[in-house]
Amino acid sequence: MTAVWSAAWAAVRRRMLQTIVIGVVVCASTATLVMALGLLESAAAPFDRAFATQRGAHLTAAFDPAKVSEDQLRSGQTESAGPFLQSTLDTSTGEVFMGTLTVAGRADPGGSVDRLSVWRGRWATAPGEIVLNRVPGGEGRTDVGFEITAAGRPKLTVVGFAHSVTGSADAWVTPDQVKALQPTALQMLYRFQKAATAAEVAEGQQTVTAGLPEGALLGTLSHLTVRDKATSELGVFIPFLMIFGVLGLVVAVLIVANVVSGAVVAGFRHIGVLKALGFTPGQVMAVYLVMVSIPAVAGCVLGTVAGNVFAKPVVQDAVEGFGVTELSFAPWVNAVALLGMPALVISAALVPALRARGLPAARAISAGITTHTGRALRIQRWLSGTRLPRSVSLGLGVPFARAGRSALTLASVVLGVMTVTLAAGVTMSVAAYDDAVRPSYTDRVEVLAGRPPGMPVMRTPETGEPPAATLSDSDDEKMLRSLPGTNAVMAVSQLETEVAGGTQDAMIFFYRGDTGALGPRVLTGHWPDGPGQVVAPSRFLNQRGLGVGDTITVQAGENRTELKIVGVVLTNNEDQIFADWTALDVLAPGTRAHSYQVRFTPGTDRQTFTAAIAAGDPGLRVLPPRDGSSSTAVILISAATVLTLVLGAVAALGVFNTVVLNARERRRDLGMLKSIGMTPRQVTVMLVTSMGALGVVGGLVGVPVGVVVHQLVVPAMAHAGQADAVDILMNVYHAPALVLLALAGVVIAVLGALVPSRGAARLSIATVLHNE
Amino acid sequence: MNNDAVVQISDLRKEYSDSTALDGVSLTVRAGEAVAVMGPSGSGKSTLLNMIAGLDRPTSGSVVVHGTDLGSLNETGLALFRRRGIGMIFQFFNLLDDLSALDNVALAAQLTGTPAGQARRRALELFGELGIENRKNVYPARLSGGERQRVAVARALMNRPALLLADEPTGALDSRSGEQVMDLLLDLNQIGQTLLLVTHDERLATRCASRVIEVVDGRIEREQSLERTQEKAL
Ligand SMILES: Nc1ncnc2c1ncn2[C@@H]1O[C@H](COP(=O)(O)OP(=O)(O)O)[C@@H](O)[C@H]1O
Ligand SMILES: [Mg+2]
Repeated sequence: MTAVWSAAWAAVRRRMLQTIVIGVVVCASTATLVMALGLLESAAAPFDRAFATQRGAHLTAAFDPAKVSEDQLRSGQTESAGPFLQSTLDTSTGEVFMGTLTVAGRADPGGSVDRLSVWRGRWATAPGEIVLNRVPGGEGRTDVGFEITAAGRPKLTVVGFAHSVTGSADAWVTPDQVKALQPTALQMLYRFQKAATAAEVAEGQQTVTAGLPEGALLGTLSHLTVRDKATSELGVFIPFLMIFGVLGLVVAVLIVANVVSGAVVAGFRHIGVLKALGFTPGQVMAVYLVMVSIPAVAGCVLGTVAGNVFAKPVVQDAVEGFGVTELSFAPWVNAVALLGMPALVISAALVPALRARGLPAARAISAGITTHTGRALRIQRWLSGTRLPRSVSLGLGVPFARAGRSALTLASVVLGVMTVTLAAGVTMSVAAYDDAVRPSYTDRVEVLAGRPPGMPVMRTPETGEPPAATLSDSDDEKMLRSLPGTNAVMAVSQLETEVAGGTQDAMIFFYRGDTGALGPRVLTGHWPDGPGQVVAPSRFLNQRGLGVGDTITVQAGENRTELKIVGVVLTNNEDQIFADWTALDVLAPGTRAHSYQVRFTPGTDRQTFTAAIAAGDPGLRVLPPRDGSSSTAVILISAATVLTLVLGAVAALGVFNTVVLNARERRRDLGMLKSIGMTPRQVTVMLVTSMGALGVVGGLVGVPVGVVVHQLVVPAMAHAGQADAVDILMNVYHAPALVLLALAGVVIAVLGALVPSRGAARLSIATVLHNE
Repeated sequence: MNNDAVVQISDLRKEYSDSTALDGVSLTVRAGEAVAVMGPSGSGKSTLLNMIAGLDRPTSGSVVVHGTDLGSLNETGLALFRRRGIGMIFQFFNLLDDLSALDNVALAAQLTGTPAGQARRRALELFGELGIENRKNVYPARLSGGERQRVAVARALMNRPALLLADEPTGALDSRSGEQVMDLLLDLNQIGQTLLLVTHDERLATRCASRVIEVVDGRIEREQSLERTQEKAL
């Protein structure tokens, strides 16, 4: 062991508490940053890798076989696969319910575009065989040999499972077989030279559709849309973790700077002795740097490991979809953490360490130098003239004696308050969003009337009896409206449709009645008021690259219709869009409502109301109120809570550290104050007051900063999650909450100061004098 | 006995922003001498010692120790010089609170590149010689003043320095402990250790020193050779 190491290691052991503080802070912020960077990287990486291996399609296009021939489609210069005839299978009446399957007729899974990986069983080679698109390790049945039946179509036996990253189809059969399934479209899969941006994809689309007859193109799906969808689940976490990681990092730097400069100030004599012994200035500096490097490196290593471990369950779920079973972050993420964090922390120690280096030895060794600046003395004199209790006024003067340290402490309190404010805001935003898209109302009931077409039978949990309305649709509605307590009724029907281009089906909900009161919130545009209109959530629009004013082609059974998007609604499901009842009369004339939403006036008893419905039509079933939050919301809220506690504790530890330093430096003053009759309680009050003052200022500064950061982070999260940053997400802070948040500063300061203050108050005068 | 000059100071001045600590001091210390520096508080005694140890730089004048002009060394050079050539003892001991008594002493040898184990062994020998072996694992805060000063002496001797500087080494000790430290220094000088000692204590000065210098207001007022040496001053 060298002398530097001996001296540094001794200093570490002596400052065990501060060492642990540095270690914990560095560990927490490293873990958060590793998670953020790791997610940033792996959110898209598995998709990109799979897309590259499979040579995924940049554009999936559906064409109308009535308007364009296969040869016309084949003639282009662009790299492509297809045309494949495409059909839809409605499996709702069959043994195995799989919704509506888009089936493409494809002779082999290879080719130059959308090379499918058959990961179980084999490819379909004969009539009656079908291969399903399923991610390896995904949900649902993955055993071969079962049969799929659809009304009016031949039976198909599952012979294998394949995966298409592009999502070109839900299932594949032989080209001959698809002809027997009443194909409705021709599928083309394109790869372009350039397809990194939406504009480049659009340009590619221009090229491949040039010269084709009007209306031949039914719809398209860009790989960018597919990618966004694939990464949106993890994307929400990234801005959130980033900001918390950076906050942690800043707090870590502040605390390290404070600990080291405190060690240098308190260690003036120590430095002098080292120099007198013959430590070179460089070695003295090294002692102080090594002193923080030990916890910094340890915290960093632990934090990196923790970041990898904690991110796993979050990421694993999302990447399994790409057949990735063993997740590890890219080496650069861990390298950045392992090298960057200690470098940053050590550079925070550099300024005070340089000061130690340059300190003249003779001055250092003549110890006991406390710098009371003129300003501090003036403030202290002024405070002593006020009518405050002496211990309080003395305490208020303390921060001014060490302005630099007080500033660093204040900064960490500000960051702590800011973190609490931000985390509270994010929590409220997430809860508000969750509540808006998955409301659990206390003032309404959902009543089932029958089976929606294309859906399996819904049963209420209580009776297990399927609903079967005895009255007609209009009579049911009349009956519900006539019940005592009813104040709004909305009839609902739904239809599973295929949106041309790609395999993403959309569920259209048709509403009748009090849609203004009971329908989803319209964010922009207006609620549909005619047959050709539809409103959609922004996730639906974003994932398909659509906007208000665009038109989509939907296919329901034999009927195809064009619908114009007239508004954006606040719901979270990317596959649900909403239309007026008049649109249903076009797509599926004569369909009855399969459920009703009924709102009752406040004060109405749910039980009695439910009984009245059953009396009106015994075939109706009332669903129990739904509850529970989405798993993303739960993860975000718990992560925000944990990070708040960690960073709040870290800020309190910063205060703790400052009090320890102040008390150590003022040991002689404290001894003197006690020798002239100050009680331990008064000493505690004095030191706690000194930090409480910083807490008040920290609260006043930290809250507005936290609010501002919230206004930046929430839109970023919403954007990543393909949702809109609507007012209910943004306006979450209210006056009482803000006051409470501002108090967080005082809480952090007082909690941090209490223990060391009491410790200092209890120190016996004899010990102080013995040690001097 | 060796007649070489260990310390050669000529016309040394040191001014601080608001005072003059040394006002033209010239002094030679020969190998094997024990020189006591006396004088009222604030007269510049500590400053003089700091100059000789290279802990501070003079405003003017020169300090040559072992033929090395300290003015020609940079900070690192001074540190290397101190490491091997100077042992220092202070009134308030100046042990490192972080290190055990033994490690405080061993640290000095580690600085010169001695491996930790070997440094501890040598430190232990010194502890034996100074009669404090049983305190080796105790931290400074738990040692008595006399024990602390003996640890400090051990640390100063660790690298067998050519010059031992002691700034009021008994000033903070009770008379019995002071006596022991005094004997220790006397013994050291008798086996050839060159010693420059600042003290208030007339008895210590006359018992240990071969020459007494009195400093007043940064100047050497008086210089007196004592019986116990055959050497002539200056
Ligand atoms: N680092 C310093 N900065 C300013 N003045 C100093 C410093 N060290 C010593 N002095 C001043 O120099 C004078 C001599 O001090 P010192 O050498 O410590 O005296 P002594 O050791 O004889 O009591 C005193 O007036 C003292 O105030
Ligand atoms: Mg002195």
